[in-house]
Amino acid sequence: MTKPIRRILAYVDGTEQSVTAAQYAIVLAKSLGAELYALYVINTRALSELVKAHIFLDSEQEEYHRDLDEDAERYLNHVRNLARSKGIAVTAERSSGAVHQEILAKVREHGIDLLVLGEISQIRSRRDELYNETERAMRSVSCSVLIAKNEERIAELFDELD
Amino acid sequence: MALIDLIREDVVRVPLAAGSKEGIIRELIQTLAAAGKVSDPEAAARAVLDREAKGSTGLEEGVAVPHGKTPAVQSLAIAVGVAPRGVDFAALDGKPSHLFFLILAPPDQSGPHIEALAEIARLCRSKAFCRTLISSRDPKEVVELFQD
Repeated sequence: MTKPIRRILAYVDGTEQSVTAAQYAIVLAKSLGAELYALYVINTRALSELVKAHIFLDSEQEEYHRDLDEDAERYLNHVRNLARSKGIAVTAERSSGAVHQEILAKVREHGIDLLVLGEISQIRSRRDELYNETERAMRSVSCSVLIAKNEERIAELFDELD
Repeated sequence: MALIDLIREDVVRVPLAAGSKEGIIRELIQTLAAAGKVSDPEAAARAVLDREAKGSTGLEEGVAVPHGKTPAVQSLAIAVGVAPRGVDFAALDGKPSHLFFLILAPPDQSGPHIEALAEIARLCRSKAFCRTLISSRDPKEVVELFQD
C-alpha cells in the first residue's frame, strides 16, 4: 500500500501556535517516514494593503519588510534546529506574497499530502473579514489539513521522540 | 492568533473619556495595562506617539488605527475604543475620529502584527460595520458585534 502521507508541510508564521504545529509536523514526519517542509510567507500583500489604506507610511512598509525578513530567518532556523534535534531533515523555505496563495502554491509545487497549521480561532464569526490567512489556507488548499491543538500534549510527544 | 480572539470585553473602552489624541492613546494603553497585557505603559505610549508623530493613523470615516512596536508587550495586544462625540485625531478627511483600534506588538512578532492590521483594514472597508461599532453602548456590545 502506498504511504498515505509522504510529504508534510508546516506553515510557520511567527506565532506560538505555528511553532507547536511545526513540532507536531516533526513528530508526524518521523513517525510516518514522511518528508518534511516548512514555509514562512512574507506577507507583502498585507504590507501593500496597509499602505493603500493609509495605516502604514511608505517608510514603515520598508521597515516591516525588513522585520519580516528577519522573522522568517529566525523562525525557519528554529524549525531547522527542532528537526535536527530529532534527526529529521527539513526543507525550510520562505516566499513573499499573499499568505494563503503562497501556501497553495507550495502545496502544489511539492506535492504535499498534509498541511499542518497552528490552532485557529475557536470563535466562529460570520464576518468574512475575520477569516485570517491561516483559515483561508485551510479552506482553500487541495490536500488534507491538520490543525495542531493541545500544546502540552504536542510538547510531550516532541520530547518523547528519539 | 486571529484578531477576533484578541478582542475581549476587558480590552474594550466604551465610551472613551479622553478628549485628545494623546489622551485617547494613553487611555487605551491603560486599558491594556489593566487587562495585564502591557508591562510598561509609558514605553508603550512612547512607541505609539512616536509613530503618530511621523503621520497620523486617523483614517477616513471616523476610524483610527494607532499602533507601535514595543517590548512592553509579550505578544500582540489590541484595544478597541469608542468616542461617541469624536476626537480630533488629525484624520485624513479632517473629520473627528470615533472608533479606535490600538495595536501593540513585540518587535520580533511583525507577522502577526501585520496580519491583525490587515484584518482591521478589511473591516474598516465596511462602513456599516464601523457605524454600528461606533453606536455601541458598552464593551459587551462591541465584542458581540465582532463575533456576530
